[in-house]
Amino acid sequence: MKIEPMEIADFKAELERLHGCSFGWALSCCRRDATEAEEVLQTVYLKIFEGKARYRGESSLKTWLFAVIRKTAATEYRRRLLRSLRLAADTSEVNDLAAPFENQTASFERSEVQMHFQGALKTLPRRQREALHLVFYEDLSLREAADVMGVSIGSARQHYERGKKKLRESLTRMEMGYGNNWGRQENPSAV
Amino acid sequence: MEIIGDDKKIRALFSEAKLADAQTTPSFTSQWHRAQSRAHRPGRAFKLSLAAVTALLVCALISLAVWSQYSQPRPTYSAVADLRAPESSKPARVDNVAVDPAPVSSDPTVQRRVRSRVNRSATQANAALIASRGKSTTEATTIDTWQSPTSALLTSQTDGLFKSLPQLNENANELKSFLPGRANEKEK
Repeated sequence: MKIEPMEIADFKAELERLHGCSFGWALSCCRRDATEAEEVLQTVYLKIFEGKARYRGESSLKTWLFAVIRKTAATEYRRRLLRSLRLAADTSEVNDLAAPFENQTASFERSEVQMHFQGALKTLPRRQREALHLVFYEDLSLREAADVMGVSIGSARQHYERGKKKLRESLTRMEMGYGNNWGRQENPSAV
Repeated sequence: MEIIGDDKKIRALFSEAKLADAQTTPSFTSQWHRAQSRAHRPGRAFKLSLAAVTALLVCALISLAVWSQYSQPRPTYSAVADLRAPESSKPARVDNVAVDPAPVSSDPTVQRRVRSRVNRSATQANAALIASRGKSTTEATTIDTWQSPTSALLTSQTDGLFKSLPQLNENANELKSFLPGRANEKEK
């Protein structure tokens, strides 16, 4: 059953307003694979258009939309994984799926710090990465992040704290590494 | 949420990533139109789940049909039941009527009517029994006189010669007379 034309128009305006955030969240859910993120977002819009995903006003529209994106991304990932397993002979496709981040890093310019930051994010468990993204990138509260992730607020807080701790450690390690490198470059005879 | 020290750094890094993502974000209109065009695309004619359900349904129907065919009672059992029924029912009916004195009144006409009814039912039971016995006898006779259609092939005209024994004082020529051709020569 499709939603009414008036509802579509209303939704379209709201979705357009949230489109940038939605794409960022889809990117995070798809491990920074822009192509996959676009596909996921299209599928989400299709679900809304066909009335398969219906907003009932139980939470904010942004929270609901992000939850739909997260579920759709998980489904799409599973489907792609199955497809790649079926075509196991074609190893290049499997490699593409396993390392989408590396391909994407080449697609647009990033500072070295940003690259390391994204690399550190990638090493985090999915839940922790999601919690950090929702809080820092999307400016959601922990309660809203918990709603999107489909977990309790206590669980979301734990993921957030643990993720932040790990990310901080990894950033400190990275800074120390830079310091050592720069030190070597500045005074090679000191070693 | 309080943001201090490293949190600020993390937030700054996320903001930087957000800016970079904003540059690569596809336009909403194109995404929406693509989604709409996907919605208008005709669905797959063959759905795997539908095919599986149909196959299961067909299997269930076939097994049900087979089961119902084999679970039906055989007609031979009913024939045996028909043959035995009159024998067992006959004395039971008569006894019931004769032993139970309550419904029978002392009036002789009523007694006569009851007796005649009992006699009639007994006669009917006897007739049924006789009919069934006659039927079984006829069937037995039919079975007794039954001959195989190939039994004629087992007999021949010379069966008598093979079944009779020659006498001890007969000579060889006479013995030869058993043969049909020789007998004719001797007569000549």
